[in-house]
Amino acid sequence: MTVSRNKLDKKDINKMSMLSILEQSCFSFERMQAPGFCLGLLPGLKKIYGDQKEEISDAMKNNMDFINTEPHMATFLQGLILSLEENGQDRALIKSIKTGLFGPLAGLGDAIFWFTLLPISAAICCSLASGGSVLGPILYIAIWFLGAISRLWFGRMGYNMGVGAVDLISSNASAITKAAGILGMMVVGGLIPSYVSLHFAETLVAPGGVSIQAIFDSIMPNILPLGFVFTLYWLFKKKHVNTLMLIILIILVSIVLSFFRIM
Amino acid sequence: MQITLIQGILLALLAFICACDACWEAFFWFRPIVVAFFAGIILGDVQVGLAAGAVAELSYLGLLTVGGTVPPDPLMAGMMTTVIAFTTGQSAETALGLSLPFALLAQWVGIVCNTTFAGFLRPLDHACENADTKKFTQIVLLGLVIKAGIYALITFLSAFALQNQIAGFVNMFPEWLIHGFEISGGLLPAVGLTLLLVVMLKKQNVAYLFIGFLLMTFLKLGNILPVAIAGIAVAFIGYLNDETIKKNAVTVGGGADDDGI
Repeated sequence: MTVSRNKLDKKDINKMSMLSILEQSCFSFERMQAPGFCLGLLPGLKKIYGDQKEEISDAMKNNMDFINTEPHMATFLQGLILSLEENGQDRALIKSIKTGLFGPLAGLGDAIFWFTLLPISAAICCSLASGGSVLGPILYIAIWFLGAISRLWFGRMGYNMGVGAVDLISSNASAITKAAGILGMMVVGGLIPSYVSLHFAETLVAPGGVSIQAIFDSIMPNILPLGFVFTLYWLFKKKHVNTLMLIILIILVSIVLSFFRIM
Repeated sequence: MQITLIQGILLALLAFICACDACWEAFFWFRPIVVAFFAGIILGDVQVGLAAGAVAELSYLGLLTVGGTVPPDPLMAGMMTTVIAFTTGQSAETALGLSLPFALLAQWVGIVCNTTFAGFLRPLDHACENADTKKFTQIVLLGLVIKAGIYALITFLSAFALQNQIAGFVNMFPEWLIHGFEISGGLLPAVGLTLLLVVMLKKQNVAYLFIGFLLMTFLKLGNILPVAIAGIAVAFIGYLNDETIKKNAVTVGGGADDDGI
């Protein structure tokens, strides 16, 4: 029996992209995003295969394997998979493309959204919010609303690129990740003096009457916050101290410093 | 100040909506700055919400869910920093440290859900077998509603039912202890930033960290946007250089091939 396939139109792809918002619903450690990922494909698969239940079932099963990627990139992959299904590509090929791409795509999406857009938007909006302006959170919501609906574009791109996506991603992912890394590092560097507040109490004076804080400031302003961040980095990276221990330690040390009126 | 029953219910509803988004990571309503803003509106004190959101957002900046790990929960941190600052009258910095137990509780809920939801996979596989898309959708959404429901319940209990106990407990603190929490509120953003560095820092890009630091320290900029724009400029220059190198490498490589033939 031959399998007949219907064409998808732009509306179907948009629908898939909007549904991909649900991609991380029902997340579990066993297969991570698989249920939500498969869910986003359902309307498209139903349209392609109509009432050929066997095909829909096979396609669903094909997308229930372990997958963990950045949510926007998942939309891209979903678009890609629907275009391959529509063209009647071999399911083993579809599966191997998906398995091969979700890792590099996750790196790309994390670099764009989590390591670049998040620190920048958080920094700008927090400085507005801590100044008492409601514009802070409102701007934040607006930025991430655009971020969320950018998946319409990612979905369409995945669908239009089809098999050609594989080459393009492998040749460009590292360049984009690298550029985002540079931008992210500059922003994080700028955030350290803006938001880490570490200074000794004014009453704390070295022998001779100079305040301890003034000594550090004369070496370089904000040298203490910078040193503190690198100390934490060293503790994480070399000593493998876990986050929770570190947070508790910081709170305890702060209380001790406060008790002795050092800070 | 007191939180009324209606405010408690509204906060629970807010937690439900934001917890759905915490699963999706779509609209970023689970981030402290947004949660605290809406919590501030519900409590009728927007300024508390803004201050709490700003300190909590930065402290939870690097605590990312990247790679399926579950960090202390930013949603609950934003919610409870606002609630504690509101009910006790303490500063947002102090409230941030005190919200940690609640963020940890929610983290634990996240881990339990992520583990037990593996049990949903069997019925989901069964629905795939039968091409039963309706059943499939229902099961996926059930997982979402259960998780968000637990968040709503925790929020209601901590913000409304336990508010007097929490406020009474905090008000027993001596002045130096409160100031200690305030100091930690200034230091915790460093944890957020450091965790970003742990993933991002490489020998190739460490120089840019210092450039950003120096720009911000000495130019007295009002916000980070100028640094970000400088960063885009620098990244673009780097990208163009890489392209040139790649192109030259291809030409050289092609030449070598010709010789071989």
